[in-house]
Amino acid sequence: MREQMKRAIVLVAGAALALAAAGSVRAADTTVTISQGVDADTLNPLATTITPTFNVVQHVYERLADFGTRPGDYEPKLAVSWKRINPTTEEYKLRRGVTFSNGDPFTSADVKFTVDWIKNPANNSKQTPYVRDIDRVETPDPYTVHFISKTPLAIPPGLQNPLFIVDAKYFQARGNAYVAEHPVGTGPYVLHEWKRDDQTSFDVNPKWWGGHPKIDHVVFKPIPEAGARVAALRTGATDLITNVPPQYQIQLVGGQNTKLASTRSLRQLFIAFNTLQPGPQQNKLVRQAINYAVDVPAIVKNVVGGRGYEISSPIPPNYFGYDASVPGYKHDLAKAKALLVKAGYPDGKGLALTLNAPIGRYNRDREIAEAIAGQLQAAGIATTVRAQEWVSYSDQLNRRALTPMYELGWNQPSADADGVITALFTTTAPLSCYSNPEIDKLTDAARGELDVVKRKALYRQIATILHEEAPWVVMFEYEDLYGTSKRLHWQPRGDENIRAYEMSLT
Amino acid sequence: MVAYLARRALGALWALIGVATVVFIILHLTGDPTSVMMPPESTRAELDAFRHAQGFDRPLIVQFGWFAVSAAHGDLGLSLRHQEPAMSLALERLPATIELAGTAFLIVALIGVPAGVLSALRPRTWIDYVARIVALIGQSAPTYWIGLMLILLFAVRLGWVPASGIGDWRNLVLPAATLGFFSTAKIMRLTRASMLEILEADYLRTARAKGLTGTRVALGHGLRNAWLPIVTQLGVELGTLLSGAIITETVFAWPGVGRLAVQAVFERDFPVVEAVVLLAATIFVVLNLAVDLLYAVLDPRIRYA
Repeated sequence: MREQMKRAIVLVAGAALALAAAGSVRAADTTVTISQGVDADTLNPLATTITPTFNVVQHVYERLADFGTRPGDYEPKLAVSWKRINPTTEEYKLRRGVTFSNGDPFTSADVKFTVDWIKNPANNSKQTPYVRDIDRVETPDPYTVHFISKTPLAIPPGLQNPLFIVDAKYFQARGNAYVAEHPVGTGPYVLHEWKRDDQTSFDVNPKWWGGHPKIDHVVFKPIPEAGARVAALRTGATDLITNVPPQYQIQLVGGQNTKLASTRSLRQLFIAFNTLQPGPQQNKLVRQAINYAVDVPAIVKNVVGGRGYEISSPIPPNYFGYDASVPGYKHDLAKAKALLVKAGYPDGKGLALTLNAPIGRYNRDREIAEAIAGQLQAAGIATTVRAQEWVSYSDQLNRRALTPMYELGWNQPSADADGVITALFTTTAPLSCYSNPEIDKLTDAARGELDVVKRKALYRQIATILHEEAPWVVMFEYEDLYGTSKRLHWQPRGDENIRAYEMSLT
Repeated sequence: MVAYLARRALGALWALIGVATVVFIILHLTGDPTSVMMPPESTRAELDAFRHAQGFDRPLIVQFGWFAVSAAHGDLGLSLRHQEPAMSLALERLPATIELAGTAFLIVALIGVPAGVLSALRPRTWIDYVARIVALIGQSAPTYWIGLMLILLFAVRLGWVPASGIGDWRNLVLPAATLGFFSTAKIMRLTRASMLEILEADYLRTARAKGLTGTRVALGHGLRNAWLPIVTQLGVELGTLLSGAIITETVFAWPGVGRLAVQAVFERDFPVVEAVVLLAATIFVVLNLAVDLLYAVLDPRIRYA
């Protein structure tokens, strides 16, 4: 009897414990708060072009595939597989059984609608450059899509850019003004509430094809000022902050509940010469001399607090197309001076150059330009820095009016040499102040070269020519700094992409 | 009175037109936002297509004509960044700004004026010195720095209030104090100066000679006559606070008009800048009128016709 009694008590207590545990599991809904510098400008994924907005909308909308962790790697999302069926046609097999959060089934018609919507001039989408290479989309059946390009393309055209698939039926019925505030996608989360400049919150999408993410609620809470972002993290008001200035590192590393997360960025910073405008920068020897005069390791160490990686080619090691055998310029004042003599500017006499730089666009952009000016002075080249705020800088950049030198950063999320070379070194690209028919020809060839080994060889050729011609001072790739709470498990990515569905908490 | 109001309304309209014109010209002369709005890998043709769709390729005078016509119909156009009506983006953020500015204004009026009066009544005593030193700090320390210091002390170190964002009253404490500090200092100094001047006046000496107590003289006769410049300045301060506290809202991640304004200016989002500026100008015009009407209440000698 007593034994039975004991057993009963143990059973009841056990059941109570189990119930309490079950209850607490439900009560401990997990929430992660993420603080970037700005709020999403819209929740229509086809109307934006900025990374912080893509970081927000990708919790609702999905692409055919996400970029993987290495260049050329993809993680299948709405497409399960893809292959080239002829030189200009790429076939995507879509995931079956996927529905949008409103219940509409996801089919090939949605993919076609998405591309067509961006292409339609009436919609005035800023994303037209993303679909430039796609001539048209065909839908042989509900789960097959053909992306047809005008010329053969080495990179799958459907995966190259942030092409987020929208619900054709819903989009057409509601119109884009409504959709911009009421997103409906196939992704892991659904919108709970968007309060502009205050917060955007998401709840888990119980119908997501990918299962249940470890985080139930995601909140994006923008905080524009870096010091205030750090303070918010230290008080526990947020779990993840972006763009931590190097001077705040120590507060986060030593913090009770905070830690620093960092990764090598795909963003490189460089100085370009405007070779299209008259001036001494049109002389290759001057450009080479300046390349030898700039001491990149010193800049990385002293100006960005060691948070950078010196690189020797515009195609860095974490990009497809990198080749270690391509030489770079190492800091060498003697060589710089010898080249200046050869160029007809002994001791830099007769040289007075302007180095243009943006203010507040990249981490320590202006300070880096000041440091470079100092280094050029040491080689005898009189250099003045002309720093401007971003809009007018960017406008002049697009008109190729920044001369003779300007500082610029570039991040290619696809981590493929094609994006860098096409946009920054070819004759017709607005951001290129360099023109070389040989580079144009090789770039075109590489874009259409379907054989990986041959394509790599073409980029080696390009990088070798660019080294010799020196249209840039190649400098370094940044290390991106994030602050997170100690309970958060998350691996930062080089493309600045933040995915809450890959996070977990302890 | 009706004629007076009509005249003032007409004047206000001209002021708004003038402001809109000046802002339009300044904005369009300082840069074309196409290169910031479009992705960096855009081709020349893609950039030109955007420019054409926005009308940036037309002569400035034609662009202004189109802007003037639609603005007269109450339509400032779509934000280049958000693709939504610019004026509704600005109005949407007005409640947050009113909440912050209203609280800051209460601090200004309820601390600035009494502190100034006290300081004037007890010149060269410790009360006066403390008030004047605090006022000096308030006027000379940058808002940005004060905000960050308050965050570090009260949010990070002591944990009494949240560091940033909008929410309940606790979220309001730091930004309102930061925002109010500068204006409080200004009002305190003005009140002190204004009171000191009045306290020297003959009729106050007469009042005291008649045997009235110091407090009654100071408040009943002194402050009453010192009011006009103070009320004028309070009106201006309220207008400044309401038109969006750019720095305070940025430091405290407050979702108000000021933050929208600063983003829009940095990106040359023309329609949004116009909307914010017109909103601010309207607030100023209305407040100025209110202050002028208040004069008549405070000083029976003033009448409008």
